[in-house]
Amino acid sequence: MPRLTESKTDILDEAGYAYSFDRQVYISRKKKKAFSVEFVQDHSEDQIRKYIQEHTDGPGWRFYFNSPPSEAVKHELESVLG
Amino acid sequence: MVRPERTVEDRLREEYFDLLPDIRRVVSELEAEIKHCLVPISLRLDEYERLVVTSRVKECESALDSVRRRQEGATFDSGRPELYSLSSLNDLAGVRVLAFPRRRFAEADRQLRQRFPTWTADPVPGYSERDGPLALKYFGYCEASDTIRGEFQIVPMLTALFWEVEHSVIYKPSPLLKGVARSLEMQNRTRDILNGLKAFEDEFANLLRRDPLSKKRTKKKKKKKQ
Repeated sequence: MPRLTESKTDILDEAGYAYSFDRQVYISRKKKKAFSVEFVQDHSEDQIRKYIQEHTDGPGWRFYFNSPPSEAVKHELESVLG
Repeated sequence: MVRPERTVEDRLREEYFDLLPDIRRVVSELEAEIKHCLVPISLRLDEYERLVVTSRVKECESALDSVRRRQEGATFDSGRPELYSLSSLNDLAGVRVLAFPRRRFAEADRQLRQRFPTWTADPVPGYSERDGPLALKYFGYCEASDTIRGEFQIVPMLTALFWEVEHSVIYKPSPLLKGVARSLEMQNRTRDILNGLKAFEDEFANLLRRDPLSKKRTKKKKKKKQ
Protein backbone atom coordinates (compact mmCIF):
# COMPACT_ATOMS: atom_id res chain seq x y z
CA MET A 1 0.00 0.00 0.00
CA PRO A 2 1.42 3.44 -0.85
CA ARG A 3 2.44 5.42 2.22
CA LEU A 4 3.06 8.94 3.31
CA THR A 5 6.67 9.33 2.19
CA GLU A 6 9.20 12.09 2.48
CA SER A 7 9.16 12.66 -1.26
CA LYS A 8 5.38 13.15 -1.31
CA THR A 9 5.50 15.73 1.45
CA ASP A 10 8.44 17.39 -0.34
CA ILE A 11 6.35 17.64 -3.50
CA LEU A 12 3.51 19.26 -1.56
CA ASP A 13 5.89 21.51 0.36
CA GLU A 14 7.61 22.75 -2.82
CA ALA A 15 4.22 23.49 -4.36
CA GLY A 16 3.33 25.67 -1.37
CA TYR A 17 1.13 23.25 0.58
CA ALA A 18 1.22 23.17 4.38
CA TYR A 19 -0.10 20.55 6.77
CA SER A 20 -3.10 21.49 8.92
CA PHE A 21 -2.85 19.22 11.97
CA ASP A 22 -6.39 19.90 13.13
CA ARG A 23 -8.03 18.71 9.90
CA GLN A 24 -5.21 16.39 8.80
CA VAL A 25 -5.08 17.90 5.34
CA TYR A 26 -2.38 19.54 3.22
CA ILE A 27 -3.66 22.89 2.01
CA SER A 28 -2.75 25.77 -0.26
CA ARG A 29 -4.86 28.87 0.37
CA LYS A 30 -3.48 30.41 -2.81
CA LYS A 31 -4.57 27.50 -5.00
CA LYS A 32 -7.62 26.73 -2.83
CA LYS A 33 -6.87 23.02 -2.83
CA ALA A 34 -6.85 20.55 0.06
CA PHE A 35 -5.41 17.03 0.06
CA SER A 36 -6.40 14.66 2.86
CA VAL A 37 -3.65 12.58 4.49
CA GLU A 38 -5.48 9.43 3.36
CA PHE A 39 -5.53 10.66 -0.25
CA VAL A 40 -1.80 11.46 -0.18
CA GLN A 41 -1.08 8.03 1.29
CA ASP A 42 -3.11 6.22 -1.35
CA HIS A 43 -1.79 8.00 -4.45
CA SER A 44 1.58 7.92 -6.13
CA GLU A 45 3.98 10.85 -6.37
CA ASP A 46 3.19 11.29 -10.07
CA GLN A 47 -0.53 11.35 -9.39
CA ILE A 48 -0.07 13.95 -6.67
CA ARG A 49 2.02 16.11 -9.01
CA LYS A 50 -0.74 15.83 -11.59
CA TYR A 51 -3.42 16.89 -9.11
CA ILE A 52 -1.30 19.80 -7.91
CA GLN A 53 -1.00 21.04 -11.49
CA GLU A 54 -4.66 20.44 -12.29
CA HIS A 55 -6.43 23.62 -13.29
CA THR A 56 -9.42 24.57 -11.15
CA ASP A 57 -12.12 27.10 -11.93
CA GLY A 58 -14.18 29.22 -9.62
CA PRO A 59 -13.65 30.71 -6.21
CA GLY A 60 -14.45 27.52 -4.20
CA TRP A 61 -12.08 25.01 -2.65
CA ARG A 62 -11.18 21.76 -4.39
CA PHE A 63 -10.96 18.77 -2.06
CA TYR A 64 -8.83 15.78 -2.98
CA PHE A 65 -10.29 13.08 -0.72
CA ASN A 66 -10.61 9.32 -1.18
CA SER A 67 -14.33 9.61 -0.46
CA PRO A 68 -15.80 12.82 -1.84
CA PRO A 69 -16.87 15.01 1.10
CA SER A 70 -20.55 15.84 1.55
CA GLU A 71 -21.79 19.39 1.10
CA ALA A 72 -21.96 19.81 4.88
CA VAL A 73 -18.35 18.69 5.31
CA LYS A 74 -17.20 20.94 2.45
CA HIS A 75 -19.05 23.87 4.02
CA GLU A 76 -17.49 23.23 7.42
CA LEU A 77 -13.99 22.86 5.95
CA GLU A 78 -14.36 25.96 3.80
CA SER A 79 -15.31 28.00 6.85
CA VAL A 80 -12.21 26.73 8.69
CA LEU A 81 -9.79 27.04 5.78
CA GLY A 82 -10.85 30.56 4.92
CA MET B 1 -36.98 31.14 22.09
CA VAL B 2 -35.65 28.89 19.35
CA ARG B 3 -33.11 26.41 20.67
CA PRO B 4 -30.01 26.11 18.54
CA GLU B 5 -29.71 22.83 16.67
CA ARG B 6 -27.72 20.17 18.48
CA THR B 7 -24.39 19.48 16.90
CA VAL B 8 -22.82 16.06 16.33
CA GLU B 9 -20.48 16.87 19.23
CA ASP B 10 -23.45 17.58 21.53
CA ARG B 11 -24.99 14.22 20.69
CA LEU B 12 -21.72 12.40 21.27
CA ARG B 13 -21.25 14.13 24.64
CA GLU B 14 -24.68 12.93 25.70
CA GLU B 15 -23.83 9.42 24.53
CA TYR B 16 -20.57 9.54 26.49
CA PHE B 17 -22.31 10.20 29.79
CA ASP B 18 -24.86 7.48 29.06
CA LEU B 19 -22.02 5.04 28.48
CA LEU B 20 -19.80 6.15 31.35
CA PRO B 21 -21.10 3.68 34.00
CA ASP B 22 -20.45 0.81 31.56
CA ILE B 23 -17.00 2.15 30.69
CA ARG B 24 -16.07 2.29 34.38
CA ARG B 25 -17.32 -1.25 34.98
CA VAL B 26 -15.35 -2.59 32.02
CA VAL B 27 -12.15 -0.88 33.18
CA SER B 28 -12.54 -2.30 36.70
CA GLU B 29 -13.22 -5.82 35.49
CA LEU B 30 -10.47 -5.82 32.88
CA GLU B 31 -7.84 -4.42 35.22
CA ALA B 32 -8.67 -6.96 37.93
CA GLU B 33 -8.66 -9.86 35.44
CA ILE B 34 -5.34 -8.82 33.94
CA LYS B 35 -3.62 -8.29 37.28
CA HIS B 36 -4.86 -11.66 38.46
CA CYS B 37 -3.73 -13.34 35.28
CA LEU B 38 -0.22 -11.86 35.56
CA VAL B 39 0.35 -12.82 39.21
CA PRO B 40 2.38 -15.95 38.31
CA ILE B 41 4.80 -13.79 36.28
CA SER B 42 4.94 -10.96 38.83
CA LEU B 43 5.97 -13.38 41.56
CA ARG B 44 8.95 -14.55 39.53
CA LEU B 45 10.29 -11.13 38.50
CA ASP B 46 13.97 -10.48 39.03
CA GLU B 47 15.07 -7.35 40.91
CA TYR B 48 15.53 -5.27 37.76
CA GLU B 49 12.40 -6.55 36.02
CA ARG B 50 9.08 -4.73 36.00
CA LEU B 51 5.51 -5.57 35.13
CA VAL B 52 3.13 -2.68 35.80
CA VAL B 53 -0.60 -2.61 35.06
CA THR B 54 -2.33 0.74 34.58
CA SER B 55 -5.85 1.60 33.51
CA ARG B 56 -7.81 4.59 32.33
CA VAL B 57 -11.26 5.70 31.28
CA LYS B 58 -10.98 7.69 28.06
CA GLU B 59 -12.06 11.26 28.66
CA CYS B 60 -15.10 12.72 26.93
CA GLU B 61 -13.37 15.26 24.67
CA SER B 62 -10.63 12.84 23.80
CA ALA B 63 -13.25 10.26 22.75
CA LEU B 64 -15.06 12.82 20.58
CA ASP B 65 -11.83 13.83 18.98
CA SER B 66 -10.92 10.22 18.23
CA VAL B 67 -14.20 9.74 16.36
CA ARG B 68 -13.71 13.02 14.47
CA ARG B 69 -10.15 12.12 13.45
CA ARG B 70 -11.36 8.89 11.91
CA GLN B 71 -13.24 10.92 9.29
CA GLU B 72 -11.35 11.99 6.19
CA GLY B 73 -10.62 15.69 6.66
CA ALA B 74 -11.26 15.20 10.41
CA THR B 75 -14.69 16.77 10.04
CA PHE B 76 -18.14 15.53 11.05
CA ASP B 77 -20.95 15.57 8.52
CA SER B 78 -23.47 17.68 10.46
CA GLY B 79 -26.26 16.49 8.16
CA ARG B 80 -25.78 12.86 9.14
CA PRO B 81 -25.27 12.64 12.91
CA GLU B 82 -26.48 9.03 12.92
CA LEU B 83 -23.17 8.00 11.33
CA TYR B 84 -21.25 8.58 14.54
CA SER B 85 -21.18 6.69 17.81
CA LEU B 86 -18.64 6.46 20.58
CA SER B 87 -19.30 2.75 20.86
CA SER B 88 -17.32 2.40 17.62
CA LEU B 89 -14.16 3.07 19.66
CA ASN B 90 -12.29 0.10 21.09
CA ASP B 91 -10.41 2.01 23.73
CA LEU B 92 -13.02 3.81 25.85
CA ALA B 93 -12.00 1.41 28.61
CA GLY B 94 -8.30 0.69 28.46
CA VAL B 95 -5.72 -1.25 30.40
CA ARG B 96 -2.00 -1.12 29.69
CA VAL B 97 0.65 -3.59 30.76
CA LEU B 98 4.16 -2.15 30.86
CA ALA B 99 6.88 -4.77 30.75
CA PHE B 100 10.63 -4.71 31.12
CA PRO B 101 12.69 -6.35 29.74
CA ARG B 102 11.29 -7.63 26.47
CA ARG B 103 11.22 -11.29 27.44
CA ARG B 104 8.61 -10.37 30.08
CA PHE B 105 6.66 -8.56 27.37
CA ALA B 106 6.43 -11.79 25.36
CA GLU B 107 5.60 -13.82 28.45
CA ALA B 108 2.80 -11.45 29.50
CA ASP B 109 1.40 -11.66 25.97
CA ARG B 110 1.31 -15.47 26.04
CA GLN B 111 -0.40 -15.47 29.42
CA LEU B 112 -3.03 -12.91 28.44
CA ARG B 113 -3.79 -14.51 25.10
CA GLN B 114 -4.65 -17.70 26.94
CA ARG B 115 -7.00 -15.77 29.22
CA PHE B 116 -8.65 -13.79 26.36
CA PRO B 117 -8.58 -16.26 23.43
CA THR B 118 -11.50 -14.72 21.53
CA TRP B 119 -10.34 -11.11 21.65
CA THR B 120 -9.22 -9.48 18.42
CA ALA B 121 -5.54 -8.69 17.97
CA ASP B 122 -4.78 -5.20 16.69
CA PRO B 123 -1.01 -4.71 17.06
CA VAL B 124 0.58 -1.27 16.73
CA PRO B 125 2.77 -1.77 13.64
CA GLY B 126 6.50 -1.15 13.95
CA TYR B 127 8.58 0.79 11.50
CA SER B 128 10.00 -2.33 9.90
CA GLU B 129 8.98 -5.98 9.74
CA ARG B 130 12.30 -7.01 11.29
CA ASP B 131 11.61 -5.02 14.48
CA GLY B 132 8.11 -6.43 14.95
CA PRO B 133 5.16 -4.45 16.38
CA LEU B 134 5.71 -1.49 18.71
CA ALA B 135 3.03 -2.79 21.05
CA LEU B 136 0.40 -5.51 21.19
CA LYS B 137 -3.26 -4.59 21.48
CA TYR B 138 -6.38 -6.67 21.91
CA PHE B 139 -10.02 -5.69 22.16
CA GLY B 140 -13.23 -7.47 22.99
CA TYR B 141 -16.16 -7.66 25.38
CA CYS B 142 -16.08 -8.27 29.14
CA GLU B 143 -18.90 -9.60 31.27
CA ALA B 144 -19.41 -6.10 32.65
CA SER B 145 -20.95 -4.74 29.43
CA ASP B 146 -22.20 -5.87 26.07
CA THR B 147 -22.14 -2.30 24.72
CA ILE B 148 -18.60 -1.19 25.45
CA ARG B 149 -15.54 -3.04 24.25
CA GLY B 150 -12.47 -3.11 26.43
CA GLU B 151 -8.92 -2.87 25.16
CA PHE B 152 -5.65 -3.95 26.67
CA GLN B 153 -2.18 -3.19 25.44
CA ILE B 154 1.12 -4.82 26.24
CA VAL B 155 3.92 -2.34 25.72
CA PRO B 156 7.68 -2.40 26.33
CA MET B 157 8.15 -0.22 29.38
CA LEU B 158 10.31 2.53 27.92
CA THR B 159 8.03 2.91 24.90
CA ALA B 160 4.98 3.11 27.18
CA LEU B 161 6.61 5.73 29.39
CA PHE B 162 7.56 7.80 26.35
CA TRP B 163 3.93 7.61 25.13
CA GLU B 164 2.73 8.71 28.57
CA VAL B 165 5.06 11.70 28.65
CA GLU B 166 4.12 12.64 25.09
CA HIS B 167 0.44 12.32 25.93
CA SER B 168 0.46 14.20 29.22
CA VAL B 169 2.68 17.04 28.01
CA ILE B 170 1.30 17.58 24.53
CA TYR B 171 -1.98 15.88 23.76
CA LYS B 172 -3.86 15.90 27.05
CA PRO B 173 -3.82 19.70 27.44
CA SER B 174 -4.64 20.10 23.77
CA PRO B 175 -6.23 17.07 22.07
CA LEU B 176 -6.30 18.98 18.77
CA LEU B 177 -2.54 18.55 18.56
CA LYS B 178 -3.00 14.82 17.98
CA GLY B 179 -3.08 15.59 14.28
CA VAL B 180 0.54 16.69 14.50
CA ALA B 181 1.53 13.07 15.08
CA ARG B 182 0.21 12.12 11.64
CA SER B 183 2.53 14.50 9.84
CA LEU B 184 5.46 12.76 8.23
CA GLU B 185 7.98 15.00 9.94
CA MET B 186 6.71 13.98 13.40
CA GLN B 187 6.46 10.33 12.39
CA ASN B 188 10.15 10.42 11.51
CA ARG B 189 11.14 12.01 14.83
CA THR B 190 8.95 9.56 16.79
CA ARG B 191 10.52 6.65 14.92
CA ASP B 192 14.00 7.91 15.90
CA ILE B 193 13.01 8.03 19.58
CA LEU B 194 11.32 4.62 19.62
CA ASN B 195 14.26 3.02 17.80
CA GLY B 196 16.58 4.59 20.37
CA LEU B 197 14.51 3.25 23.27
CA LYS B 198 14.44 -0.21 21.74
CA ALA B 199 18.21 -0.17 21.25
CA PHE B 200 18.59 0.86 24.90
CA GLU B 201 16.39 -2.01 26.11
CA ASP B 202 18.12 -4.52 23.85
CA GLU B 203 21.56 -3.45 25.05
CA PHE B 204 20.46 -3.55 28.67
CA ALA B 205 19.14 -7.10 28.28
CA ASN B 206 22.31 -8.06 26.42
CA LEU B 207 24.59 -6.85 29.19
CA LEU B 208 22.57 -8.64 31.83
CA ARG B 209 22.67 -11.85 29.85
CA ARG B 210 26.44 -11.63 29.54
CA ASP B 211 27.11 -10.68 33.17
CA PRO B 212 28.81 -13.73 34.71
CA LEU B 213 27.49 -12.83 38.16
CA SER B 214 23.86 -12.31 37.21
CA LYS B 215 23.00 -16.05 37.40
CA LYS B 216 24.60 -16.29 40.84
CA ARG B 217 22.46 -13.39 42.02
CA THR B 218 19.33 -15.10 40.74
CA LYS B 219 20.23 -18.37 42.49
CA LYS B 220 20.98 -16.52 45.71
CA LYS B 221 17.62 -14.81 45.52
CA LYS B 222 15.85 -18.13 45.01
CA LYS B 223 17.65 -19.65 47.99
CA LYS B 224 16.66 -16.68 50.12
CA LYS B 225 13.02 -17.22 49.20
CA GLN B 226 13.16 -20.89 50.16
